[in-house]
Amino acid sequence: MTGFFTALRGSAYVYPIVLSMHMIGLAFFGGMVLMTDMRLLGLTMRKRSVAEVVDLFRIPKRWGLLLIVTCGILLAGSKAEEYYYNAFFRTKLILLGAVLVHELVFRRGVYANPAALDRTPTVPASAKLAAALSLLLWTSIACCGRGIGYIEPPLDKIHAEIHLVQDAALAALRGPNLLKGEDH
Amino acid sequence: MFVLLLLQNAIADVLNSSEWVFPITECFHITAFAWSIGLIALVDFRLLGVGMKRETTPQIAKAVAPWTLLGLAVVLLSGPVLFLSDPRMYLYNPSFRFKIGALLIAIVFNYTIHRKVALSDSASAGVRVLVGVVSLALWISVVFGGLFIAFA
Repeated sequence: MTGFFTALRGSAYVYPIVLSMHMIGLAFFGGMVLMTDMRLLGLTMRKRSVAEVVDLFRIPKRWGLLLIVTCGILLAGSKAEEYYYNAFFRTKLILLGAVLVHELVFRRGVYANPAALDRTPTVPASAKLAAALSLLLWTSIACCGRGIGYIEPPLDKIHAEIHLVQDAALAALRGPNLLKGEDH
Repeated sequence: MFVLLLLQNAIADVLNSSEWVFPITECFHITAFAWSIGLIALVDFRLLGVGMKRETTPQIAKAVAPWTLLGLAVVLLSGPVLFLSDPRMYLYNPSFRFKIGALLIAIVFNYTIHRKVALSDSASAGVRVLVGVVSLALWISVVFGGLFIAFA
């Protein structure tokens, strides 16, 4: 596994190619998310029922997500340590966690059961809230994703600091023994 | 020519005066390209006969057309802002040149052949598949070209 990710990292072109595919997945998934949520907000395709629109975009959305997640794991795995120290990457992970919570909260009531949303004359406030939060979360995730590229954590410096701490800890542990050794 | 050069530097100076102008414009660019290319790809997949069988291609194409246009408008407004922050770098960047070429072809294709076939009820299966594949290939080239600007 590590060897695979090291190979990914070592190749000059594989990384940008996987990143491009990540962006293509983003285009597809993002487009579908935007349309679904905008329909819930009553801003697009109003001549069609909410159920029709949500159902239309559901499967393409999943394919897009599959492509993004696959490429995303490859990208993260190939630069695992840089990303671990990257503030935008950490924020992105937290936001992805928030997306999971969003899914748990709203899935049953909104996205999985859109027919119910057509029974009332206007889309219920909870569905609109779900849509607004979803748009906010996904847009922030995309922007954080872009932000990752702006930060290059100084790994050499971080490693040097880790070694200093490790050496100090080892010295503290062994120190007295070493001194004893020297005495005799 | 000299005036143009001065003007271009002045614009770049404004755009580079805050470190936030470029990334924020980029966020708009990314969100809008997701929107427009995602929706064009949706029509392409329907042309290819992949999924969404309950709706016809013209139905889908008509429903998403205004939103594709809006997305493209934001992309085409934010793109030049990014470009003007460092025009010389972009002009000499082979990926950028490739991207702009592919983008021009893709836009023309999208609003001529692609639209005609997507809105037609009588296009043959072969033509539909061909147009869907060409459209996907063009837009994927644009995304690749855009991303490789930073790597080439």
